[in-house]
Amino acid sequence: MRTFWRITAFLADYKLLVAVAFGTALGQMALSLTIPLFTRAVINDALVAGHYELLVPLGLAILGVGAARLVLAVVRRLATGRMSLGIEYTLRNRMYWHLLQQPAGYFDHWQTGQLMSRAMSDIQNVRMFLGYGLVFFTVNVFTLVAVAVLLFILNWSLALLSLAFLPLLLIVALRFSRKLHPVLRDVQQKIADVTTVAEENVTGSRIVKIFAREDDELEKFSARSRAVFDASISAARLRAFYVPLIGFLPNIAVAVLLFWGAREVIAGTLSLGSLVAFYTYLMMLIYPAQVLGWLTGLMQRAIASGERVYEILDTPLEMTDAPDAEALTEVCGEVRFEGVRFAYGGDGSGADDGMGAAAAASNAPRAAPAIAGQKAPPERQVLRGIDLDVPCGATMALVGHTGCGKTTLTNLIPRFYDVTGGAVLIDGHDVRAVTRESLRGHIGIVNQDPYLFSTTVAENIRLGRPEASDDEVREAARRAQADEFISALPDGYDTVIGERGYTLSGGQRQRIAIARALVMNPRILILDDATSSVDTATEFRIRQALIEVMRGRTTFIIAHRPSTIALAGEVIVLDEGRIVERGSHEELMAVGGLYARMFGAAEAEGRTLDVAGLPTDEDGRGDGGEPLPSPRGAGREVRDGGR
Amino acid sequence: MAAARARGPHGEGPALEDIRGWRVLLHPVRELQLVRLAAFVRPYRAQAAASLVAMVVVTLTALAVPYLVKIAIDSGIAVGDMRVVELVIVAFLALAGLNLGASYLQTYLVNWVGERVILDLRRALFAHIQKLSLDFFSQQKTGWIVSRLTNDIDSLDQLVTDGVTTLVTSSLTLVGAVVLLFVLDWRLALATMIILPPVIVATVVFRSKSARSYAKVRDKIAGVSAHLQESIAGVRVVQAFRREQADFDRFAEANAAYQRANWETVVQSGFYFPYVEFMSAVGVVIVLWYGGVLQSHGALEIGVLVAFVGYLASFFDPIQQLSQLYNTFQASMAAVRKVYTVLDTEPDMTDAPHAHPLPEARGEVRFEHVDFAYGRGRDATPLVVPGERSGGAARGGEQRGGDGRAAEGPAGAARAVEQQATQQRDALPREAERAASDVLHDVDFAIAPGETLALVGPTGAGKSTIVKLLARFYDPRAGRVLIDGHDLRDVTTRSLREQLAVVPQEAFLFSGSVLENVRFPRPDASLEEVRRVARIVGAHDFIEALPDGYETDVQERGGGLSTGQRQLISFARALLADPRILILDEATSSVDAESERRIEHAMDVLFSGRTSVIVAHRLSTVRHADQILVVDDGRIIERGTHDDLMALRGRYWELYREWEETGLPL
Repeated sequence: MRTFWRITAFLADYKLLVAVAFGTALGQMALSLTIPLFTRAVINDALVAGHYELLVPLGLAILGVGAARLVLAVVRRLATGRMSLGIEYTLRNRMYWHLLQQPAGYFDHWQTGQLMSRAMSDIQNVRMFLGYGLVFFTVNVFTLVAVAVLLFILNWSLALLSLAFLPLLLIVALRFSRKLHPVLRDVQQKIADVTTVAEENVTGSRIVKIFAREDDELEKFSARSRAVFDASISAARLRAFYVPLIGFLPNIAVAVLLFWGAREVIAGTLSLGSLVAFYTYLMMLIYPAQVLGWLTGLMQRAIASGERVYEILDTPLEMTDAPDAEALTEVCGEVRFEGVRFAYGGDGSGADDGMGAAAAASNAPRAAPAIAGQKAPPERQVLRGIDLDVPCGATMALVGHTGCGKTTLTNLIPRFYDVTGGAVLIDGHDVRAVTRESLRGHIGIVNQDPYLFSTTVAENIRLGRPEASDDEVREAARRAQADEFISALPDGYDTVIGERGYTLSGGQRQRIAIARALVMNPRILILDDATSSVDTATEFRIRQALIEVMRGRTTFIIAHRPSTIALAGEVIVLDEGRIVERGSHEELMAVGGLYARMFGAAEAEGRTLDVAGLPTDEDGRGDGGEPLPSPRGAGREVRDGGR
Repeated sequence: MAAARARGPHGEGPALEDIRGWRVLLHPVRELQLVRLAAFVRPYRAQAAASLVAMVVVTLTALAVPYLVKIAIDSGIAVGDMRVVELVIVAFLALAGLNLGASYLQTYLVNWVGERVILDLRRALFAHIQKLSLDFFSQQKTGWIVSRLTNDIDSLDQLVTDGVTTLVTSSLTLVGAVVLLFVLDWRLALATMIILPPVIVATVVFRSKSARSYAKVRDKIAGVSAHLQESIAGVRVVQAFRREQADFDRFAEANAAYQRANWETVVQSGFYFPYVEFMSAVGVVIVLWYGGVLQSHGALEIGVLVAFVGYLASFFDPIQQLSQLYNTFQASMAAVRKVYTVLDTEPDMTDAPHAHPLPEARGEVRFEHVDFAYGRGRDATPLVVPGERSGGAARGGEQRGGDGRAAEGPAGAARAVEQQATQQRDALPREAERAASDVLHDVDFAIAPGETLALVGPTGAGKSTIVKLLARFYDPRAGRVLIDGHDLRDVTTRSLREQLAVVPQEAFLFSGSVLENVRFPRPDASLEEVRRVARIVGAHDFIEALPDGYETDVQERGGGLSTGQRQLISFARALLADPRILILDEATSSVDAESERRIEHAMDVLFSGRTSVIVAHRLSTVRHADQILVVDDGRIIERGTHDDLMALRGRYWELYREWEETGLPL
């Protein structure tokens, strides 16, 4: 019920329209109620009594009422339309803006499809209810009451007799709606099951083909589709039973009315016109009583949808700028981590923001349940006290196995997440004390799987600085080693890429992402696994581009390939959320610690180094021995919740 | 006008306000798809016919009510004969009972037939999609294909259930009401028909305008949804580049465009429906005036007048309902058209009519002068759906595996159109043009049974394509692919794939338990067998350590399976299939080093006694192959063992050196 009031609260912005809508709807109803009175007058006074001269004024009166109703109906429809569309528009915009402000962890938790259905169909359900349902509901209730009162005024004994069916009708209609609701939900659930099978058969089509399992999958799909059929038929059965029944019940009242009414007319205690008017009013009752059930269903659906919408809107914006946040203007780019601690699933906003528990829970990354399954504590410490000072213009490589916290650490710089302890400082400014807008303006990021929007290449490159000139875009692309292939595209820089456009290879996208970072001309650059998914020849080109990009900027490199790591002046090795080693490549090799073992092993076996998942130091047999899979090691691979 | 409203059981209601139309009456057959859809109804024509009969009964019994009221008034009440009234009441109740029964049958049967058709259509579509080649899957987004199977078919639901009922009963009621009006009193009926022309004109105008507006609404909502999807997928980038405000503005614009389109429909129905209602009031007045005049001359009974007013409602309601049905119909037809674009995509990899099952293979593989080009193997037409907007997440182009297509890109629909156009325009010698776009040129090699072949070469060289030809995901444009001397085009795909397994780069797991996933190729395999293969590939230990062991659901509690672990499950799956020919298509490139080591260890077991093909980036895995082919630009440029090729000091040697260098810290 609370949600109901919250939904209706949207109407507050449209007070005038709401008043107009309800006013016109009630007026419409009242006018409709007068028509049978006119019809009665026509029959009784004009026709039966023979005062034919009354026909003209009565006819004109009906026309007048009709015309007035026309005006009211048009106004009512336009008012409710304006109001409900306005609410839908505002609500969707609000939700979208809310989503745009959410920290990265939020999207780890929510599936895109979930957010989509809330932003589209749930909002539409709310709109349907506010725009039509609420007005109709109110008007129907009023009609029921008004008609019943009128019937009693016309003839109370006849009214009592013929209205006896009304409570029964209401009970049946409400019962129908209550029964139908879970069945319809079941249908929706079954359709979702079909979608799952459809989806995995499309994504996994190759596997199905390879193992020639088409028949099994078709059977699986058919079984699920059959379940939809069965559920739909259950719904149809309910409908087939209740809908005609709801239509039938009033007929009993009509029969009773005809029987008693006819006797009274014959006996002379009732006029024919009154009987006809009575009959007409009775008919006017049937429709509102029938649709009340449907309207309650609409209301229930709107409330459920409203709850789903509010689930999103109620998540507080975790990382709003501090009230006294200042813009971070000129920076050199010195980055300092002071005793930085971070945990997923904990209070991600930092102790002093006073965050609600609900927000913390819904911001847990999606990987969390899997970890919980491995009996990890709900609060998962990813970083356990990082102290690191990267001077302005320096290049730092971050090394460690998957899940050690490398990506998380870099995510703290642009405030994709906030630290749960300690502080991240840029040129001595705590990142939480400056506006995010200004902060992110100084930071360029190139990811392993760069996201490009389905627009032109040029638009993608100038994403971070829309005012960049064509020459600047071209220059950035040239330095990112991308100009050559972009120029060879069908429309050069104006080629639309992405889903409905041209498909680029991983290496090409990577270089566009580098150009994008270059156009921004950031002071701090984060290269997260930017070269891992490309072959050696492409990597060579990207590496050339990176050298160009890194010049004069504070750079963080996360990499698995030694050749990429070699771009950095200094290396830190992370393990279990702590810095375990630090130094140049040679120094670290000489120390003979985790780094040396990881790289030494690669050297000894003469193959590409892939640091991810290498045995950690406690296993102590990374070199040579056949490491057996340890469940702990395996579990850690998923802990890199930062992406 | 609100006199006796003889409503059918479907009534009118705000629910239906948005979803009905009437052009249905005029052009059902013109929409070809509807005819094709009818083929799906044929198996259930008995039920469909029964439901039609039920609909007629429902309509007729509902139409009879005002007529009975007329009899009661004129022959009963007016002349003071209570017996007639009683008879009428009995008849009335009997008719109402008949209506009740027929309504039940009608609702049940219509839904049954409709849902049945939907079930069959869905199944047919799924079975058809299964037959389509990998081209189809790489050209269309997952979301696009899935929404054909779900959203589109579901949107037919409204048409085949509510829609058909409304169409039939409303049309019948309309015709019945007109007939009855004339039967009751032809003079009065003619007089009433005066209001028909303005109603028809308004309906025609409304219908065409609202059709256009609803099409616009559908288009705009797809735009909103596409924007939403893209931005949610790329929200990190939006935030990192501080584009929130600009992105929001673009979204708000799309959202506003949708609201504007919606507003058009509000205005249209806002005027049309009250107008029709007003016209029905005009009808009532005409009836009362003219009827009064007639009655004053004693030429009309009052009961007729009352019944007339009642039937006027039965005359206007169907017009409104049919007008609205038109929108449902249009939306459904848009969906059906999309469904048919898929059903009309010819599967280009069907078995030949004379195809025979591949006998128990020894595993000898031969490629004979194979040429291949994507998308044109058999002049396959790339699937093109113009105007499609509601596709899946618009990621900035996905990298499709490591084969030749990644570089060139299996471009989107727009590009496919372009290619086709060029193809038709240019009168170049076809053969020359084809050769130029070939991904493989004259690939010729043989693998003896039980041997291991490695394919090496840069990204886009054509390695994965060779593998796809061997699994017959595609047919060569020229030349032949043979297993044990059987041309793959002459054997049934099923028998081929029962003897061959591919482990692709990305391990794909189905929803369900680990056990079910390993068992995928052989659902009847025992738990013991599953454990055995899991032990061999080194997956047993970590599976046991999962919360529910082999029963762990891979998506829920096992959602945290790492890439390496997934790949090991995929290896176990391939091993359980126990194929004669095993293909590892870059199977270890996304696996971390630790898992790779484990897999390498398992490879001896995997390869023993089978013909194996490995495609690999990392040269460490290929060194022990019996034969290595170096592929570049679709050609085999070197072949031999590791030692042979190293001694040759050619491309392999270069690749190996380059790899060794980048593999070591500088």
